[in-house]
Amino acid sequence: MADTGTRLQNSNVLDVEAVRRDFPILSETVYGKPLVFLDSGASAQKPRQVIDAMRHAMEHQYSNVHRGAHYMSAATTDTFEGAREKVRAFLNAGSIDEIIFTANVTAAINLVAYSYGRAFLKAGDEVVVSEMEHHANIVPWQMMAEATGAIVRVAPVEDDGSFDIRRFEGVLSDRTKLVAITHCSNVMGTVVPAKEVARLAHAAGAKVLFDGAQAAVHGPVDVRDIDADFYGFTGHKLYGPSGIGVLYGKLDLLNAMPPFLGGGDMIDRVSFTGTTYKEAPHRFEAGTPAIVEAIGLGAAIDYVHDIGFDAIRAHEADLGAYAQERLQAIPGVRLVGTAPGKAAIVSFLVDGLHPYDVAAVLDRQGVACRVGHHCAEPLMDRMGVIGTVRASMALYNTRAEIDALAAGIEKAKKLLA
Amino acid sequence: MAQAEYEEFIETLDALDDDMRFEYLLDLARMQDREALPEAQRTDANLMHGCMSKVWLVHEEREGRHYFTGASEAAIVKGLVYMMTHAFSGLTAAEIAGLTLDDVRKLNLGALTFQRQVGMMAMLKRIQRLAGVPATSQAARA
Repeated sequence: MADTGTRLQNSNVLDVEAVRRDFPILSETVYGKPLVFLDSGASAQKPRQVIDAMRHAMEHQYSNVHRGAHYMSAATTDTFEGAREKVRAFLNAGSIDEIIFTANVTAAINLVAYSYGRAFLKAGDEVVVSEMEHHANIVPWQMMAEATGAIVRVAPVEDDGSFDIRRFEGVLSDRTKLVAITHCSNVMGTVVPAKEVARLAHAAGAKVLFDGAQAAVHGPVDVRDIDADFYGFTGHKLYGPSGIGVLYGKLDLLNAMPPFLGGGDMIDRVSFTGTTYKEAPHRFEAGTPAIVEAIGLGAAIDYVHDIGFDAIRAHEADLGAYAQERLQAIPGVRLVGTAPGKAAIVSFLVDGLHPYDVAAVLDRQGVACRVGHHCAEPLMDRMGVIGTVRASMALYNTRAEIDALAAGIEKAKKLLA
Repeated sequence: MAQAEYEEFIETLDALDDDMRFEYLLDLARMQDREALPEAQRTDANLMHGCMSKVWLVHEEREGRHYFTGASEAAIVKGLVYMMTHAFSGLTAAEIAGLTLDDVRKLNLGALTFQRQVGMMAMLKRIQRLAGVPATSQAARA
């Protein structure tokens, strides 16, 4: 468990210096300069609580799970399934059977596209995505459409990156069978009104899947309040390890879906005359799962829970607003995506400079940003840019780091002019 | 052959500290701008795929020797394109076939990051294919 005694003055204030001490990597230097890590949207750093939980598992309590009539297997299964319960509570799902461990969100979406898509979608049915999807929430649907004859429709985003629920509604019809949409844009931080999206999708007779890769990091997610049919998020962006993600699905839906991958641990009975499958979640977890990673994800959930999402949200809202203010004050800087209420993700360009060069100069100052199309090429086309530099903030970032970003941009302008 | 230029790049990079290497690459990028590839040659066929910023490489053969020019949208990559095209122009097909990743490694100090080193390796393979010789499969020494 995280030691919150020194971290919190009260439930809404985050002591960022205390938080930073939990993340060993943040005291590293790069090129002799302090690391300013503004790429948490790609993958976040890990607190020692997560590192310790994973090390503890490997040093003291490790075995394969759901197998073996011995102490270590039983104990490891308890911890592993305990992590599933932590995920259930994190999402406020109704049952742990609705929580499927996957490798990441990409795997979660592919699971739904393959299993639900091929079982329930037919030629002429429509799947609605948005213009601001990550490729992980585009390509699986294109592959599914190729296999089934279903059609992928695209809901628009506005010039400022905001999401207009009325225009989204205009794309829905009685042909819409599934809405697969991001809960928060990885490029612009735009937050999609999930509850309203789900209500409209259901009114059209469609199921709804949310890509929560970014959203689950920045605020609490309540899948029952949203009334999501499917919800995916990943451990490594939530201060947990890579290699572990989650697909939430409503239980009746999951049990109506055929397995995606076949193998061990997902079967009820196997014979050469016919094989039957377990119920969810195990029917979707063929093979040995990412055991230590799931335990690490459980520790990460404990960590953010102990800090509190109110405190995290307030801290990140301050950072995001400050970043937007500082960058907008630099002549020649253009922000891509300024939707109200966005998460602490800022994409930008500098007039006359290639984003790759800007990021390279920032890198030399120790400022780590992501550059490129951010796995969202259709959004780049929509916004009319070749790519952007993206600063994505996390609970451990500071205003001083935003100042370092701004100074780095000024330096890039001078060097590259 | 651009042996002299090749050695000059290596010696200069070796003598500079990190920040100065950055500036040196930007100087090379400005030189690259002076021999900018005409827009008509910035075609998909001349484009190297898989790079973080667009890189075009164009090839010409004169009297049994191969010459390369190129372009990029990003200044730092332009500097790398300048080094690569100047270092490896004027060679025969046999000489180009004999180039290995180690020949590129000596220029890697200019790459500044591992990702760009990978890009330079890709440029060598592209140069070899343009010259009609097999791309080297030899891994660079660690």
